[in-house]
Amino acid sequence: MTAIAEGTRPVPRRSRFVLDRPEFMGPLFIAPAILYVVLLVALPFFLAIYYSVSAYTIFNPSYHFVGLKNLKEVLESDIFRHTLGNTFFFTIVSQIFGLLLGKVGAMLLIQDFPGRGIARALVVLPWAVPVSLAVLAWKWMFDSLYSVINWTLMAVGLMDPMNPAQWLGTTDLAMTAVITVHAWRLFPFGVVIFLAGLTSVPKDVLDAATIDGAGFWRRNYVIIMPIILPIITIALIFGTVFTFTDLSVVYLLTNGGPVNSTQVLGSLGFQVGVLSGDVSHGAVICLFLFPFLLLATIILLKVLRRREI
Amino acid sequence: MRKGGNAYGAGVSRRSFLRRGGAVAGGLSLAPVIGAPFVSTALADTKTLKIVQWSHFVPAYDKWLDGFISDWGKKNGINATIDHIPHLELPARAAAEVAAGAGHDIFGFNGSGGPHLFSKHTVDMTKFIGETEQKYGKVGAIGKQIAYDDKTKTWNAFPDYFIDFPGLYRKDLWGEIGMLPDTWEDVHKGGAKLKAKGHPIGIGLGHSVDPNNSYNSMLWSWGASVSDETGTKVTLNSKATLEVVKFVKALYTDCMTPEVLSWDDSSNNRFLASGRGSWIHNPISAYRTIQKSNPKLADNIFVTKTPAGPVRRLAAGAPNSYVVWNFSKNQETAFEFLRAYCANYKDAFLAATGYNHPLFENLVPKPQPIFSNDPSSHPPDKLKVLETAAEWCVVFGYPGPSGPAPDEVADNFIIPDMMAKAATGKMTPEEAVKWATNEVELIYKKWANHA
Repeated sequence: MTAIAEGTRPVPRRSRFVLDRPEFMGPLFIAPAILYVVLLVALPFFLAIYYSVSAYTIFNPSYHFVGLKNLKEVLESDIFRHTLGNTFFFTIVSQIFGLLLGKVGAMLLIQDFPGRGIARALVVLPWAVPVSLAVLAWKWMFDSLYSVINWTLMAVGLMDPMNPAQWLGTTDLAMTAVITVHAWRLFPFGVVIFLAGLTSVPKDVLDAATIDGAGFWRRNYVIIMPIILPIITIALIFGTVFTFTDLSVVYLLTNGGPVNSTQVLGSLGFQVGVLSGDVSHGAVICLFLFPFLLLATIILLKVLRRREI
Repeated sequence: MRKGGNAYGAGVSRRSFLRRGGAVAGGLSLAPVIGAPFVSTALADTKTLKIVQWSHFVPAYDKWLDGFISDWGKKNGINATIDHIPHLELPARAAAEVAAGAGHDIFGFNGSGGPHLFSKHTVDMTKFIGETEQKYGKVGAIGKQIAYDDKTKTWNAFPDYFIDFPGLYRKDLWGEIGMLPDTWEDVHKGGAKLKAKGHPIGIGLGHSVDPNNSYNSMLWSWGASVSDETGTKVTLNSKATLEVVKFVKALYTDCMTPEVLSWDDSSNNRFLASGRGSWIHNPISAYRTIQKSNPKLADNIFVTKTPAGPVRRLAAGAPNSYVVWNFSKNQETAFEFLRAYCANYKDAFLAATGYNHPLFENLVPKPQPIFSNDPSSHPPDKLKVLETAAEWCVVFGYPGPSGPAPDEVADNFIIPDMMAKAATGKMTPEEAVKWATNEVELIYKKWANHA
């Protein structure tokens, strides 16, 4: 009782401590986050933009402004143009597969069955396992001599032992391999997003639709999908930006080969900017898609907002 | 319950917490000031030296080096440490250290162009190299390519060693067809016969280090090159290059299987170890691994010089060098270490079991141990041919110096891709050469502007 009485005792304005003032505490608490974004996101980003219009290299670290010269030179390269096409293909196809698998996984995992908790935990593994470790495992599965995939296909008679598939050696199969691994990494994210979306669909609406005779597909496309569309859009934006800027799977699995058939902008930018020390051209390659990504994100978010209203 | 208290003791008001906390923080912040005279004296007495370099393919070499640095540090009152990182991380690490103006004192580059690329951030080693040449003989061709700047007439780096690139072949299989893979033509003829017997040869055609080495070796052996001896003019578009590309197409079709398109740097080692491969172009790491895993097979694996082409016999070696950063505060200590390292180079050579070829003429005088007598090999002089590696190894940029442009050509795998495009029929040999020349010219033009 004494404590309560003490706690409610009015504090004189004069002695009010600075930490009791929201106008001071608010900015103070948000400051680290702002500082973090400014120092670790905004500053490097603007620096990268400046690098892309400068003559900066490790050999000659000059900030001399060269305008769009670097961009012009990058566009002249056949490797870059080929890489750009690969990046779009890699991103779009792995998004489609990642989200499709996510949707299927979520629909399975929303059902009530024994061990559902364990299954849900296991599904997150591809997302949680360090990418280097995961890709190493995949690399062995795609190995030219010891591929377990080939071994299995040969064992069931679906592959000629004298002519095994070269998963990382032929251009189309190599792209299939990197997309498979990336979609495998993305799909837990899709599952989580779709699960969150599916649990937010009101059960009474679904029940009413079922009573009215709506089947699985109609319930899925006429009721569930429109309701969870905003959350899918967010997943799509995240997934697309993540994939467009990712280099880990390609770098670790194929290093862009064979004959640049799996090269993506992230890996090429790393190759040119970091390994070869040509920071300015590396920055151009990495930032090339930024304006398009920004525009696409803005349009998607606007569509989303309009739809919510 | 005590007034205003909690389960753990007396209540602490916000004000008293801050007061106490402030006192603690103040006390802590004063500690260095109070202790400074004592601590700084102690620190002043202890010199430091920090080194970073790649994790060597031979763990025993790293073990020897770690021990040597530790002992040398203790003996000289120097707190010397060494970090080993994967070789692919070295360029990013070097860039980060330069950007920060801090990090290690000695940076070990693995690859050819590093000292040239970072030349503005390194200490001039001209005096030290002169002193070392007087003691241990002249620096060889590779050492000069990687560490000497012809424009400024200065040495940017201490050329440490290079790893050779010989041919490794199955003596039993090549004996059956009565051949020895001494020239590229032999490799083609014999490889075709052995492929028909289920024992193809293998040179990677993917994006890794080995294909760059092998296909540049072929270009040089046919008299072709990416650029001229000044290192500024692109000379790739030549009749000799076209011949090489046509040869590689035939070699791929007749002697190899499509798996080489997916190989990384360890794949050819596994290929030879599997018993299927009859010949690979690789340092002796493959042989050393097989010695441990399958001694019987290892006894059948023999070593030749890199195959000779119609013009000459040349292979791309993998060099290593040390630079001292110009922002290092321990430059003198760094040179002290390098002097001690040179004085113990024979031990380093032995620890590397034949991988590291010194780049100073007499650092390990001939006959060199291991090459002249390797007790683990049967016969013991199996590796003798490697003693001549300095005569048939150069690095990217040949016939000119190494540098950022040849390195970027290698980093972008343009030469292996030129071969792969023609070999797989995606382009005709003429188109492949044209494609590669265009890409190489863009890179050389760009770096000429940067310079």
